[in-house]
Amino acid sequence: MQKGPPKFRTSLRSRGYPCRFAEHDSPVHRMGAGWKLLFGVFLSALAAGGRTPLMQAILVMGTLAYYLSARLTLRDLWCDVRLFAFQAAMVIPLYCMLDGVEKGLWPGVRISTQIVLFYLPGAVFLRTTRTSEAMAALRRIVPYRLSFLVFVSVRFVPLFFRELEEIVALQRLRGARLSPREQMNPRNWPDLFNCVVLPLMVRAFRTADEVSRSAEARAFGLHRERTYLDVAAMGRADGEEAVSEVEGRDGAYPVKALTD
Amino acid sequence: MEQTERIYIWRRFTLREAVLLCFCATLIVLTRAGLRLHLHLPGHVMFFTMFFFLLARGCVPKVGAATLVGLITSLASVILGMGSGGAMVLVKFLLPALVVDLAGLIAPAFVTSLLACATVGVLASLLRAGANTGVEWLLGMDEEIMLQKTVISAGMNGLWGGLGALAVPAIIRRLRKNGLIDQGAAAT
Repeated sequence: MQKGPPKFRTSLRSRGYPCRFAEHDSPVHRMGAGWKLLFGVFLSALAAGGRTPLMQAILVMGTLAYYLSARLTLRDLWCDVRLFAFQAAMVIPLYCMLDGVEKGLWPGVRISTQIVLFYLPGAVFLRTTRTSEAMAALRRIVPYRLSFLVFVSVRFVPLFFRELEEIVALQRLRGARLSPREQMNPRNWPDLFNCVVLPLMVRAFRTADEVSRSAEARAFGLHRERTYLDVAAMGRADGEEAVSEVEGRDGAYPVKALTD
Repeated sequence: MEQTERIYIWRRFTLREAVLLCFCATLIVLTRAGLRLHLHLPGHVMFFTMFFFLLARGCVPKVGAATLVGLITSLASVILGMGSGGAMVLVKFLLPALVVDLAGLIAPAFVTSLLACATVGVLASLLRAGANTGVEWLLGMDEEIMLQKTVISAGMNGLWGGLGALAVPAIIRRLRKNGLIDQGAAAT
Protein backbone atom coordinates (compact mmCIF):
# COMPACT_ATOMS: atom_id res chain seq x y z
CA MET A 1 0.00 0.00 0.00
CA GLN A 2 1.42 3.36 -1.01
CA LYS A 3 1.76 5.86 1.74
CA GLY A 4 0.41 9.33 1.02
CA PRO A 5 2.38 12.50 1.65
CA PRO A 6 2.45 13.67 5.25
CA LYS A 7 -0.47 15.87 6.17
CA PHE A 8 0.47 19.46 6.71
CA ARG A 9 -1.58 22.43 7.70
CA THR A 10 -4.01 23.52 5.01
CA SER A 11 -6.12 25.97 6.98
CA LEU A 12 -5.44 29.68 6.81
CA ARG A 13 -6.27 30.05 10.47
CA SER A 14 -3.33 30.90 12.66
CA ARG A 15 -3.02 28.76 15.76
CA GLY A 16 -1.93 29.69 19.23
CA TYR A 17 0.55 32.31 20.29
CA PRO A 18 3.08 34.30 18.23
CA CYS A 19 6.15 32.50 16.85
CA ARG A 20 4.73 29.05 17.47
CA PHE A 21 6.34 26.28 15.41
CA ALA A 22 4.38 25.59 12.21
CA GLU A 23 4.73 22.09 10.76
CA HIS A 24 5.31 22.48 7.03
CA ASP A 25 7.54 21.35 4.22
CA SER A 26 9.40 24.37 2.86
CA PRO A 27 12.95 25.35 1.86
CA VAL A 28 13.27 27.34 5.09
CA HIS A 29 12.10 24.39 7.18
CA ARG A 30 14.74 22.24 5.51
CA MET A 31 17.55 24.72 6.22
CA GLY A 32 19.83 23.92 9.15
CA ALA A 33 19.05 25.71 12.41
CA GLY A 34 22.52 27.28 12.49
CA TRP A 35 22.14 28.69 8.98
CA LYS A 36 18.71 30.06 9.80
CA LEU A 37 20.08 31.75 12.88
CA LEU A 38 22.99 33.19 10.93
CA PHE A 39 20.74 34.42 8.09
CA GLY A 40 18.35 35.90 10.65
CA VAL A 41 21.13 37.83 12.35
CA PHE A 42 22.27 39.08 8.93
CA LEU A 43 18.75 40.28 8.04
CA SER A 44 18.34 41.94 11.44
CA ALA A 45 21.66 43.74 11.01
CA LEU A 46 20.53 44.96 7.58
CA ALA A 47 17.26 46.16 9.13
CA ALA A 48 19.19 48.20 11.69
CA GLY A 49 21.24 49.82 8.96
CA GLY A 50 18.63 50.37 6.22
CA ARG A 51 17.23 53.86 6.63
CA THR A 52 16.53 55.10 3.10
CA PRO A 53 13.12 54.41 1.50
CA LEU A 54 14.69 52.33 -1.27
CA MET A 55 16.72 50.21 1.14
CA GLN A 56 13.67 49.73 3.35
CA ALA A 57 11.51 48.69 0.39
CA ILE A 58 14.12 46.11 -0.62
CA LEU A 59 14.39 44.83 2.96
CA VAL A 60 10.61 44.58 3.33
CA MET A 61 10.39 42.59 0.07
CA GLY A 62 13.32 40.38 1.05
CA THR A 63 12.10 39.66 4.58
CA LEU A 64 8.55 39.06 3.38
CA ALA A 65 9.83 36.67 0.70
CA TYR A 66 11.83 34.83 3.40
CA TYR A 67 8.77 34.66 5.66
CA LEU A 68 6.37 33.51 2.95
CA SER A 69 8.85 31.02 1.48
CA ALA A 70 8.50 29.20 4.81
CA ARG A 71 4.87 28.68 3.71
CA LEU A 72 3.65 30.76 6.59
CA THR A 73 0.39 32.57 6.03
CA LEU A 74 -0.47 36.25 6.27
CA ARG A 75 -2.45 35.39 9.38
CA ASP A 76 0.71 33.96 10.92
CA LEU A 77 2.47 37.18 9.97
CA TRP A 78 -0.21 39.24 11.67
CA CYS A 79 0.00 37.04 14.75
CA ASP A 80 3.79 37.56 14.90
CA VAL A 81 3.87 41.32 14.28
CA ARG A 82 0.65 42.24 16.10
CA LEU A 83 2.54 43.53 19.11
CA PHE A 84 4.74 45.72 16.90
CA ALA A 85 1.66 47.04 15.10
CA PHE A 86 0.37 48.36 18.41
CA GLN A 87 3.78 49.88 18.99
CA ALA A 88 3.65 51.55 15.56
CA ALA A 89 0.21 52.93 16.42
CA MET A 90 1.92 54.69 19.32
CA VAL A 91 5.21 55.70 17.67
CA ILE A 92 3.84 57.23 14.41
CA PRO A 93 1.37 59.62 16.11
CA LEU A 94 4.12 60.63 18.56
CA TYR A 95 6.42 61.57 15.66
CA CYS A 96 3.56 63.43 13.95
CA MET A 97 2.78 65.33 17.15
CA LEU A 98 6.42 66.25 17.63
CA ASP A 99 7.45 67.23 14.09
CA GLY A 100 4.11 67.71 12.33
CA VAL A 101 2.48 65.24 9.97
CA GLU A 102 4.59 66.25 6.98
CA LYS A 103 7.94 65.87 8.69
CA GLY A 104 7.09 63.24 11.26
CA LEU A 105 5.18 60.67 9.21
CA TRP A 106 8.14 59.13 7.35
CA PRO A 107 10.48 58.81 10.38
CA GLY A 108 7.62 57.22 12.33
CA VAL A 109 6.85 54.74 9.56
CA ARG A 110 10.57 54.07 9.04
CA ILE A 111 11.27 53.28 12.69
CA SER A 112 8.15 51.12 13.04
CA THR A 113 9.08 49.17 9.91
CA GLN A 114 12.67 48.78 11.07
CA ILE A 115 11.52 47.36 14.41
CA VAL A 116 9.33 44.78 12.63
CA LEU A 117 12.15 43.91 10.21
CA PHE A 118 14.59 43.56 13.11
CA TYR A 119 12.46 40.99 14.94
CA LEU A 120 10.82 39.12 12.02
CA PRO A 121 13.79 36.84 11.12
CA GLY A 122 13.74 35.60 14.72
CA ALA A 123 10.06 34.78 14.31
CA VAL A 124 10.83 32.81 11.12
CA PHE A 125 13.49 30.83 13.02
CA LEU A 126 11.04 29.91 15.76
CA ARG A 127 8.22 29.18 13.31
CA THR A 128 10.33 26.82 11.22
CA THR A 129 12.66 25.11 13.70
CA ARG A 130 11.71 22.10 15.76
CA THR A 131 12.78 21.97 19.38
CA SER A 132 14.96 18.93 18.59
CA GLU A 133 16.72 20.80 15.74
CA ALA A 134 17.32 23.83 17.94
CA MET A 135 18.72 21.53 20.62
CA ALA A 136 21.06 19.85 18.13
CA ALA A 137 22.30 23.26 16.95
CA LEU A 138 22.73 24.43 20.54
CA ARG A 139 24.74 21.32 21.40
CA ARG A 140 27.31 22.30 18.79
CA ILE A 141 27.97 25.77 20.16
CA VAL A 142 27.32 25.52 23.91
CA PRO A 143 29.56 23.52 26.31
CA TYR A 144 27.97 20.18 27.21
CA ARG A 145 27.65 20.97 30.90
CA LEU A 146 25.52 24.03 30.13
CA SER A 147 23.59 22.36 27.31
CA PHE A 148 22.76 19.49 29.70
CA LEU A 149 21.19 22.00 32.09
CA VAL A 150 19.23 23.65 29.26
CA PHE A 151 17.88 20.28 28.12
CA VAL A 152 16.98 19.30 31.68
CA SER A 153 15.17 22.62 32.00
CA VAL A 154 13.19 21.97 28.80
CA ARG A 155 12.53 18.30 29.58
CA PHE A 156 11.11 19.11 33.01
CA VAL A 157 8.61 21.71 31.78
CA PRO A 158 5.82 19.07 31.35
CA LEU A 159 6.59 17.52 34.76
CA PHE A 160 6.41 20.83 36.59
CA PHE A 161 3.33 21.76 34.60
CA ARG A 162 1.60 18.58 35.83
CA GLU A 163 2.85 19.24 39.36
CA LEU A 164 1.52 22.77 39.21
CA GLU A 165 -1.89 21.58 38.03
CA GLU A 166 -2.08 18.96 40.77
CA ILE A 167 -0.98 21.35 43.50
CA VAL A 168 -3.47 24.02 42.38
CA ALA A 169 -6.32 21.48 42.22
CA LEU A 170 -5.54 20.07 45.68
CA GLN A 171 -5.05 23.46 47.31
CA ARG A 172 -8.30 24.74 45.81
CA LEU A 173 -10.07 21.75 47.35
CA ARG A 174 -8.56 22.83 50.68
CA GLY A 175 -10.04 26.31 50.20
CA ALA A 176 -7.09 28.27 48.79
CA ARG A 177 -8.19 31.24 46.72
CA LEU A 178 -6.46 30.31 43.48
CA SER A 179 -9.08 30.58 40.74
CA PRO A 180 -8.21 33.13 38.01
CA ARG A 181 -11.01 35.40 39.21
CA GLU A 182 -9.83 35.22 42.83
CA GLN A 183 -6.25 35.86 41.76
CA MET A 184 -7.31 39.13 40.11
CA ASN A 185 -7.51 40.47 43.66
CA PRO A 186 -3.97 41.19 44.99
CA ARG A 187 -5.15 40.36 48.53
CA ASN A 188 -5.35 36.71 47.41
CA TRP A 189 -1.77 36.65 46.09
CA PRO A 190 -0.32 35.30 49.38
CA ASP A 191 -2.32 32.13 48.71
CA LEU A 192 -0.51 31.77 45.39
CA PHE A 193 2.89 31.92 47.05
CA ASN A 194 2.11 29.97 50.24
CA CYS A 195 -0.06 27.27 48.72
CA VAL A 196 1.47 26.85 45.25
CA VAL A 197 4.99 28.24 44.97
CA LEU A 198 6.22 26.85 48.28
CA PRO A 199 5.11 23.22 47.62
CA LEU A 200 6.42 23.57 44.07
CA MET A 201 9.84 24.62 45.37
CA VAL A 202 9.87 21.71 47.82
CA ARG A 203 9.16 19.43 44.87
CA ALA A 204 11.94 21.15 42.89
CA PHE A 205 14.42 20.49 45.74
CA ARG A 206 13.49 16.82 45.86
CA THR A 207 13.65 16.40 42.09
CA ALA A 208 17.01 18.20 41.93
CA ASP A 209 18.32 15.73 44.53
CA GLU A 210 17.06 12.75 42.54
CA VAL A 211 18.31 14.00 39.17
CA SER A 212 21.76 14.94 40.42
CA ARG A 213 22.22 11.67 42.35
CA SER A 214 21.07 9.68 39.35
CA ALA A 215 23.42 11.54 36.98
CA GLU A 216 26.38 11.29 39.36
CA ALA A 217 25.76 7.57 39.83
CA ARG A 218 26.33 7.29 36.08
CA ALA A 219 29.62 9.19 36.43
CA PHE A 220 28.12 12.17 34.63
CA GLY A 221 30.35 15.24 34.74
CA LEU A 222 33.40 13.23 35.76
CA HIS A 223 35.39 14.19 32.67
CA ARG A 224 35.99 17.45 30.88
CA GLU A 225 34.50 15.99 27.69
CA ARG A 226 31.01 14.52 27.42
CA THR A 227 31.07 10.77 28.03
CA TYR A 228 28.55 8.07 27.19
CA LEU A 229 28.08 4.64 28.67
CA ASP A 230 29.00 2.02 26.06
CA VAL A 231 25.98 -0.26 26.28
CA ALA A 232 27.50 -2.71 23.78
CA ALA A 233 30.49 -3.22 26.07
CA MET A 234 28.15 -3.79 28.99
CA GLY A 235 25.98 -6.28 27.11
CA ARG A 236 28.90 -8.49 26.07
CA ALA A 237 28.41 -11.81 27.81
CA ASP A 238 32.08 -12.44 28.42
CA GLY A 239 31.75 -12.60 32.15
CA GLU A 240 34.62 -10.89 33.90
CA GLU A 241 35.98 -9.15 30.81
CA ALA A 242 32.80 -7.16 30.23
CA VAL A 243 32.50 -6.24 33.88
CA SER A 244 36.12 -5.13 34.21
CA GLU A 245 35.83 -3.09 31.00
CA VAL A 246 32.91 -1.13 32.35
CA GLU A 247 34.03 -0.73 35.92
CA GLY A 248 37.74 -0.34 35.28
CA ARG A 249 40.48 -1.88 37.37
CA ASP A 250 40.49 0.83 39.99
CA GLY A 251 36.72 0.99 40.14
CA ALA A 252 36.60 4.19 38.03
CA TYR A 253 34.84 4.27 34.70
CA PRO A 254 37.32 3.65 31.89
CA VAL A 255 37.47 6.04 28.96
CA LYS A 256 36.81 3.17 26.54
CA ALA A 257 33.46 2.36 28.09
CA LEU A 258 32.35 5.93 28.63
CA THR A 259 33.77 8.06 25.85
CA ASP A 260 31.94 8.22 22.57
CA MET B 1 31.19 9.61 56.59
CA GLU B 2 30.98 13.06 55.10
CA GLN B 3 31.31 13.17 51.33
CA THR B 4 32.34 16.32 49.51
CA GLU B 5 30.28 17.11 46.43
CA ARG B 6 32.02 17.47 43.10
CA ILE B 7 31.92 20.88 41.43
CA TYR B 8 30.00 20.66 38.16
CA ILE B 9 29.91 24.05 36.47
CA TRP B 10 31.57 27.48 36.64
CA ARG B 11 33.93 26.24 39.35
CA ARG B 12 31.39 26.85 42.08
CA PHE B 13 28.09 24.99 41.55
CA THR B 14 27.62 21.32 42.33
CA LEU B 15 25.39 19.28 40.03
CA ARG B 16 22.56 19.45 42.58
CA GLU B 17 22.78 23.24 42.80
CA ALA B 18 23.00 23.55 39.02
CA VAL B 19 19.94 21.34 38.53
CA LEU B 20 18.03 23.32 41.16
CA LEU B 21 18.91 26.55 39.33
CA CYS B 22 17.83 25.02 36.06
CA PHE B 23 14.47 24.19 37.67
CA CYS B 24 14.12 27.86 38.60
CA ALA B 25 14.63 28.57 34.89
CA THR B 26 11.98 25.93 34.07
CA LEU B 27 9.53 27.67 36.38
CA ILE B 28 10.24 31.05 34.73
CA VAL B 29 9.59 29.49 31.31
CA LEU B 30 6.44 27.83 32.63
CA THR B 31 5.03 31.03 34.13
CA ARG B 32 5.96 32.99 30.99
CA ALA B 33 4.07 30.47 28.86
CA GLY B 34 1.10 30.61 31.22
CA LEU B 35 0.99 34.38 31.39
CA ARG B 36 1.36 34.94 27.66
CA LEU B 37 -1.83 32.99 27.09
CA HIS B 38 -3.94 34.89 29.58
CA LEU B 39 -2.59 38.37 30.29
CA HIS B 40 -1.96 41.31 28.01
CA LEU B 41 -0.38 43.68 30.49
CA PRO B 42 2.94 45.29 29.57
CA GLY B 43 5.85 44.18 31.75
CA HIS B 44 3.91 41.45 33.59
CA VAL B 45 6.56 38.90 32.61
CA MET B 46 8.90 40.55 35.13
CA PHE B 47 6.69 39.52 38.05
CA PHE B 48 7.68 35.85 38.05
CA THR B 49 11.04 36.45 36.33
CA MET B 50 12.29 38.60 39.20
CA PHE B 51 10.65 36.34 41.76
CA PHE B 52 12.51 33.26 40.53
CA PHE B 53 15.81 35.11 39.95
CA LEU B 54 15.80 36.25 43.56
CA LEU B 55 14.55 32.91 44.83
CA ALA B 56 17.40 31.20 42.95
CA ARG B 57 19.86 33.54 44.61
CA GLY B 58 18.28 32.75 48.00
CA CYS B 59 18.33 28.99 47.47
CA VAL B 60 21.88 28.90 46.09
CA PRO B 61 23.66 31.84 47.77
CA LYS B 62 26.64 31.93 45.43
CA VAL B 63 27.70 34.61 42.98
CA GLY B 64 26.56 33.65 39.49
CA ALA B 65 23.43 31.75 40.56
CA ALA B 66 21.00 34.24 39.03
CA THR B 67 23.19 34.63 35.94
CA LEU B 68 23.10 30.88 35.36
CA VAL B 69 19.30 30.93 35.70
CA GLY B 70 19.14 33.85 33.23
CA LEU B 71 21.36 32.05 30.74
CA ILE B 72 19.39 28.81 30.94
CA THR B 73 16.07 30.67 30.73
CA SER B 74 17.10 32.57 27.61
CA LEU B 75 18.42 29.45 25.85
CA ALA B 76 15.37 27.40 26.85
CA SER B 77 13.09 30.23 25.65
CA VAL B 78 14.77 30.22 22.24
CA ILE B 79 14.50 26.42 22.02
CA LEU B 80 10.83 26.45 23.03
CA GLY B 81 9.97 29.24 20.61
CA MET B 82 9.26 31.91 23.16
CA GLY B 83 11.69 34.62 22.18
CA SER B 84 11.47 36.23 18.78
CA GLY B 85 14.28 38.68 19.47
CA GLY B 86 17.10 36.22 18.75
CA ALA B 87 20.19 37.43 20.61
CA MET B 88 18.04 40.05 22.35
CA VAL B 89 16.39 37.32 24.44
CA LEU B 90 19.81 36.58 25.89
CA VAL B 91 20.35 40.23 26.80
CA LYS B 92 16.83 40.61 28.22
CA PHE B 93 17.32 37.80 30.73
CA LEU B 94 21.00 38.21 31.44
CA LEU B 95 20.90 41.91 32.33
CA PRO B 96 18.42 41.58 35.24
CA ALA B 97 20.17 38.41 36.38
CA LEU B 98 23.49 40.24 36.50
CA VAL B 99 21.90 42.97 38.63
CA VAL B 100 20.71 40.32 41.11
CA ASP B 101 24.20 38.80 41.27
CA LEU B 102 25.78 42.20 41.66
CA ALA B 103 23.44 42.93 44.58
CA GLY B 104 24.40 39.56 46.06
CA LEU B 105 28.04 40.47 45.75
CA ILE B 106 27.50 43.77 47.58
CA ALA B 107 25.09 42.47 50.23
CA PRO B 108 25.12 38.65 50.43
CA ALA B 109 22.05 38.42 52.69
CA PHE B 110 19.86 40.87 50.77
CA VAL B 111 17.26 38.24 49.81
CA THR B 112 15.80 38.30 53.32
CA SER B 113 15.25 42.05 53.29
CA LEU B 114 11.95 43.28 51.85
CA LEU B 115 13.32 46.69 50.93
CA ALA B 116 16.51 45.33 49.35
CA CYS B 117 14.56 42.76 47.32
CA ALA B 118 12.10 45.39 46.07
CA THR B 119 14.95 47.74 45.13
CA VAL B 120 16.85 45.05 43.27
CA GLY B 121 13.64 43.84 41.59
CA VAL B 122 12.78 47.34 40.36
CA LEU B 123 16.36 48.10 39.23
CA ALA B 124 16.74 44.83 37.36
CA SER B 125 13.37 45.29 35.65
CA LEU B 126 14.30 48.84 34.62
CA LEU B 127 17.46 47.50 33.05
CA ARG B 128 15.48 44.95 31.05
CA ALA B 129 13.28 47.76 29.74
CA GLY B 130 16.50 49.56 28.88
CA ALA B 131 17.52 46.68 26.61
CA ASN B 132 14.53 47.40 24.37
CA THR B 133 15.49 51.05 24.34
CA GLY B 134 18.95 50.01 23.18
CA VAL B 135 17.45 48.38 20.07
CA GLU B 136 15.38 51.48 19.35
CA TRP B 137 18.46 53.66 19.74
CA LEU B 138 20.31 51.34 17.37
CA LEU B 139 17.52 51.78 14.83
CA GLY B 140 17.80 55.56 15.09
CA MET B 141 14.59 56.46 16.91
CA ASP B 142 14.08 60.09 17.94
CA GLU B 143 15.47 60.59 21.44
CA GLU B 144 12.42 62.36 22.83
CA ILE B 145 10.03 59.67 21.65
CA MET B 146 12.42 56.97 22.80
CA LEU B 147 12.49 58.56 26.25
CA GLN B 148 8.69 58.75 26.47
CA LYS B 149 8.35 55.09 25.46
CA THR B 150 11.09 54.05 27.86
CA VAL B 151 9.45 55.83 30.78
CA ILE B 152 6.17 53.99 30.18
CA SER B 153 7.71 50.54 29.63
CA ALA B 154 10.30 50.94 32.41
CA GLY B 155 7.56 52.05 34.81
CA MET B 156 5.43 48.99 34.08
CA ASN B 157 8.41 46.61 34.14
CA GLY B 158 9.66 48.12 37.40
CA LEU B 159 6.23 47.87 39.02
CA TRP B 160 5.77 44.19 38.17
CA GLY B 161 9.39 43.31 38.95
CA GLY B 162 9.18 45.04 42.33
CA LEU B 163 5.92 43.27 43.21
CA GLY B 164 7.40 39.89 42.30
CA ALA B 165 10.52 40.60 44.35
CA LEU B 166 8.47 41.53 47.43
CA ALA B 167 7.27 37.94 47.78
CA VAL B 168 10.78 36.48 47.99
CA PRO B 169 11.92 37.20 51.61
CA ALA B 170 8.89 35.45 53.14
CA ILE B 171 9.42 32.36 50.97
CA ILE B 172 13.16 32.25 51.74
CA ARG B 173 12.47 32.55 55.46
CA ARG B 174 9.99 29.69 55.35
CA LEU B 175 12.34 27.49 53.34
CA ARG B 176 15.11 28.18 55.86
CA LYS B 177 12.81 27.57 58.80
CA ASN B 178 12.00 24.13 57.41
CA GLY B 179 15.66 23.34 56.82
CA LEU B 180 15.31 23.12 53.05
CA ILE B 181 18.05 25.66 52.41
CA ASP B 182 21.10 26.74 54.38
CA GLN B 183 20.62 29.22 57.20
CA GLY B 184 21.85 32.41 55.58
CA ALA B 185 25.00 31.02 54.04
CA ALA B 186 27.50 33.61 52.95
CA ALA B 187 28.18 34.26 49.31
CA THR B 188 31.14 32.57 47.73
